[in-house]
Amino acid sequence: MVDEKRLRDEVKKTISRDDVKYVVGYEKGTYGFQATPCFAYKPEDADKFIFSPLCVHNLAVFPMLEEKPPLRKGEEPDTRKIGVVVKGCDSRAIVQIIQEKGLDREKVVIIGIPCTGVIDPKKIKDKFPGHIKNVEVKDEDDKFIITVDGKTQKIPKEELMPDKCKTCEYPTPVLYDILIGKEIKSTKKEGYDEVASFEKKSLKDRWDYWEKQFEKCIRCYACRNACPLCYCKECMVDQLNPQWVRRSVNLSENTAWNLLRAFHLAGRCIGCGQCERACPMDIPLMKLNKKIEKEIKEMFEYIPGINAEEKPLLAMFKPDDPEEFIL
Amino acid sequence: MDKMILSKSDFPKVITEIIKKNNVYAPVKNNDTIIFDQIKKPSEMNLDFCNSKVPPKKLLFHQTETLFKFTPGTKAKIESVDINENNVIFGIRPCDAKSLAILDHAFQGDFEDPYFLKRRKNTILIGLSCNKPELNCFCTSFDDSPASSKYVDILFTDIGDKYYVEIKNDKGKQLTKNISNLLKPATENDTKKRKEVEQKAINMISRHQKTEGIAYKLDKIFENPYWKKVAFKCVGCGTCTYLCPTCHCFDIQDETTLTKGARVRVWDTCMNPEYTLQASGYNPRPARTNRVRNRVYHKYNYYPKNYDVIACVGCGRCIDLCPVNIDIIDVVTRAGEVKP
Repeated sequence: MVDEKRLRDEVKKTISRDDVKYVVGYEKGTYGFQATPCFAYKPEDADKFIFSPLCVHNLAVFPMLEEKPPLRKGEEPDTRKIGVVVKGCDSRAIVQIIQEKGLDREKVVIIGIPCTGVIDPKKIKDKFPGHIKNVEVKDEDDKFIITVDGKTQKIPKEELMPDKCKTCEYPTPVLYDILIGKEIKSTKKEGYDEVASFEKKSLKDRWDYWEKQFEKCIRCYACRNACPLCYCKECMVDQLNPQWVRRSVNLSENTAWNLLRAFHLAGRCIGCGQCERACPMDIPLMKLNKKIEKEIKEMFEYIPGINAEEKPLLAMFKPDDPEEFIL
Repeated sequence: MDKMILSKSDFPKVITEIIKKNNVYAPVKNNDTIIFDQIKKPSEMNLDFCNSKVPPKKLLFHQTETLFKFTPGTKAKIESVDINENNVIFGIRPCDAKSLAILDHAFQGDFEDPYFLKRRKNTILIGLSCNKPELNCFCTSFDDSPASSKYVDILFTDIGDKYYVEIKNDKGKQLTKNISNLLKPATENDTKKRKEVEQKAINMISRHQKTEGIAYKLDKIFENPYWKKVAFKCVGCGTCTYLCPTCHCFDIQDETTLTKGARVRVWDTCMNPEYTLQASGYNPRPARTNRVRNRVYHKYNYYPKNYDVIACVGCGRCIDLCPVNIDIIDVVTRAGEVKP
């Protein structure tokens, strides 16, 4: 369990600094199994901060979402830092963005939390359907302790964790200024078992599968907006001249969007799974991301979001890079 | 209004009969997701659901609608699109049916929208009472009921081993003419049972929104910093609006190839930075705060002022599916408490 008091104390200390604008963390949500992003501008705002296995959001998205309205005459830009509470996977997003020079290391205060796995919101909703008032979730070794309306249950983590946590190799943030608690070493390994078994299917079966999935897409772009690494100033699908992807929502354009999104994250996706979590239509987007991640790992021995000093994959070249795919 | 009873064993026959002469849309399962889609036989339906992911508004107000087709160039030819289908939506929930009545105001207001209105005229709504409202359902906050028959042509209510069928109007009567031999008049006991089922469902609804005087209140807090707080965690996706049964903003685009073109209308969302962006480059809603506020005001201020009805039916979709837990029940209730 994370020491929430220490978290709140550190957030208070951080927000008290003159060079910090605000800190983004988590608070209790408005219903059921919900935690929600929240912002502290003053030390007392930190009192509502929590951390539990319900804190599924990748808050690294918020520094990237910050709007910079044009300055009025004589107005100085606010260059203070933003504090962000991160889990292992979230920190990798920050590293990747810093690597790409999307964010200045000096502009963030990273409050790291060694993570022991979160709960998949869809899985827990299926496990506890219906009307839930009071919820408390803790974790203990390999079990989640879930108290719903006074009744406590211990449920094996395997049952409720999203797939990304089951194979997480970086539970401790890879980059941080403050660490809440002790470092955790992972014994898990990403074996890409699901990708491998999917690859065995025939081309027709795979295509049919994705057609069925992309048919559902409503192009709300929740996948893009929840993704910390989708931070282009103007997304290619929003461009009108030229219009790369049409606004029509049909299988062809939906497929174009979903594949473009996945490819644009090649060598950049750090596997936090926000796209899949945010998708209201339950499209298994991580399957696409993981496939690309696997190929890149096998071909270039490259893992994104580990070292902020390293060059991004698509910005480097080694003479012995494989090139069998070049026709 | 006719109150009838249909045994569950005869139910598939009824649907089969309706399919013969109409395009029938009903809830179906695509992987694990419930959506409304056209069915060819009754077994394709899935009635074990609270609400479909995408509201059935999509069947009348298509996400992508071809308004007309044309050939580009100097000798342009324009070809209109014919909307002439007989549609039946089976299994629409009372809240979603109400949303269509709310949309009527927008589509037959200052300008008549032939696409929506023609489809609306040609569509028969067979409602299905909601016996198991979920956590974020709050239709009762608008004095409605999960078993309201107000906005449908026929309402089915599952009362255990049979359906209680209320035929509301001529449209409904016309549709059930061929199957009248399968329907028996409801007894007093059946009516009692239907009331019990409805009351049970109402009692299950645990969340409520305070909407009293909200339109008037919102007038006073337009510039309040409260909206900034609400919008801060918004990531700006279109989930809440696309999945809202009453949201109806759209964008119009020409989609052309070298030889043919079409003017299409697609759903738009006020969460999109491009929404209301003017050709001059000026945008009256430049920040997320403006856009998040617009969603709330459109439903709880502009609509009540223009049409005397709140443009929210309490289906709970935007709450269920918001990736950052922006909760309209909470947002509106707290807006009521903000000091102007």
